[in-house]
Amino acid sequence: MTGPETAAVRCAGCGRRVKVCAGCEQPGCRNPICDACLRLRLGQSIAQPHPHGG
Amino acid sequence: MSPRAAWRLERLGFGEVYDYTAGKLDWMAAGLPTEGTGAARPRAGDLARGEVPTCALNERLDAVRERVRAGGWEVAVVANEQRVVLGLLRARELDADGDHTVEQAMRPGPSTFRPFVPAEEMARFMTEHGLESAPITTSDGRLVGLLFRQDAVEHAPDEGDRAP
Repeated sequence: MTGPETAAVRCAGCGRRVKVCAGCEQPGCRNPICDACLRLRLGQSIAQPHPHGG
Repeated sequence: MSPRAAWRLERLGFGEVYDYTAGKLDWMAAGLPTEGTGAARPRAGDLARGEVPTCALNERLDAVRERVRAGGWEVAVVANEQRVVLGLLRARELDADGDHTVEQAMRPGPSTFRPFVPAEEMARFMTEHGLESAPITTSDGRLVGLLFRQDAVEHAPDEGDRAP
């Protein structure tokens, strides 16, 4: 049986299946986001390839 | 800056130029100064509360709970001797069985955020995800402080205040 704690959700950004939202870690999150999309969204990493702006 | 940019600056006559190999994001994540259009915007690291209570993995939960709440807090960050964040105790975890250790009760490996993220972006993200607070760390995981959503929202410039 799959409980709410283990059910996979889809990242709202890229559609990847993740165990839980990387932002809030709440199983019922309405805007689940994977770790990679979270880091890109907040500018904590840069999408590759990217135009080099210095 | 990149090696290419460093070489270019040297060519333009700047005498002392260094290539920070870890990259610009790492520089900003360490809370080091920046210049340019966005430098004056309030950022997560400016607003994070560095005085947030911390505790160690092997402490008893009841002792931590008492200390944390006596200071008027409802959250504590679990960190090691180097202030590297290992977990988080929110109100729910603080209310767990006091005989447990912090390690047994904590939320392990919480999502952390870098100090350079603009306040308005943090405010928007935390509102979307119902996060009351979020740990702010350097890129090597050391605690800068705890950012409260209310602080981020209050310091987020209105859309009209943004530089073009």
